[in-house]
Amino acid sequence: MSVASLARGAHGELDQLYIETRELRLQGFLLFLVSDCVLFSSFIFAYLYLRNSGQGWPPPGIQRLDVAFAAWNSVVLFGSGATMHYALENFKHGKWMAYMWFLLATIVLGAGFLGGQAYEYNHLIYAEHVTWWGSGIFGASFFTLTGMHGMHVFFGVCYLTVLVLQSSAGVYTRGKYFGITAGTLYWHFVDVIWVVLFSIFYLL
Amino acid sequence: MNAATIERLGAVIAGIVVAVVAFYALYKDWRAEGTENQVFKLMLLLLGLGAVLALLAGLNVVGFAPPKGA
Repeated sequence: MSVASLARGAHGELDQLYIETRELRLQGFLLFLVSDCVLFSSFIFAYLYLRNSGQGWPPPGIQRLDVAFAAWNSVVLFGSGATMHYALENFKHGKWMAYMWFLLATIVLGAGFLGGQAYEYNHLIYAEHVTWWGSGIFGASFFTLTGMHGMHVFFGVCYLTVLVLQSSAGVYTRGKYFGITAGTLYWHFVDVIWVVLFSIFYLL
Repeated sequence: MNAATIERLGAVIAGIVVAVVAFYALYKDWRAEGTENQVFKLMLLLLGLGAVLALLAGLNVVGFAPPKGA
């Protein structure tokens, strides 16, 4: 079935504008993700440069980050990427209830990841006395990069919540669902960025 | 069983599930065409690799593990 035959509004009218601009919207959104990727890349390369220019890592007086909790929290976020993918797939195949459940599961897992990050920050600041402002390059780069990523996850959770409300209101149809595609792309992007951050902060 | 062991066990089990799901979704979408599907495939591949990394970290194969007794 073509996009043109499906791209109808809530009252069945043909949305010509949507048909003509869908590809442009996709390209614009991908350009946004590329620009975000450049932003993260600049911070990541700055971190790697600083890390390799010093005498050993982490700096004296700071313990290495324990990987056990981070691995668990990472899997929570990666799991949300899988549920978001299946939310989109179910929407494409007209399985409304499965779509909503997978979307809600994604929101819960995303919020769970944020909770885990808050727990880790709390532990680092109060138990290990590693702070953004008082632990040199290590603290500054860790909190800046993971904080920036956490902010992206937070906005992603907000966006997905808006998707739930819009979907409940019948904004999206089987042929007109770019908002859901964009949400899925964004969420996958956030996951992929965490793969890099998890590797450089906890595994290297 | 201490908290770190439970976290590692959770990471291993959930890592296997997520990796299998991601690679299966990639396998199913392998022949899909169009810009967005190509991006989805790339991201599913990286997602699966991330899950494998977390799984290996849970198994103590990669990453830092505190010395015994620390």
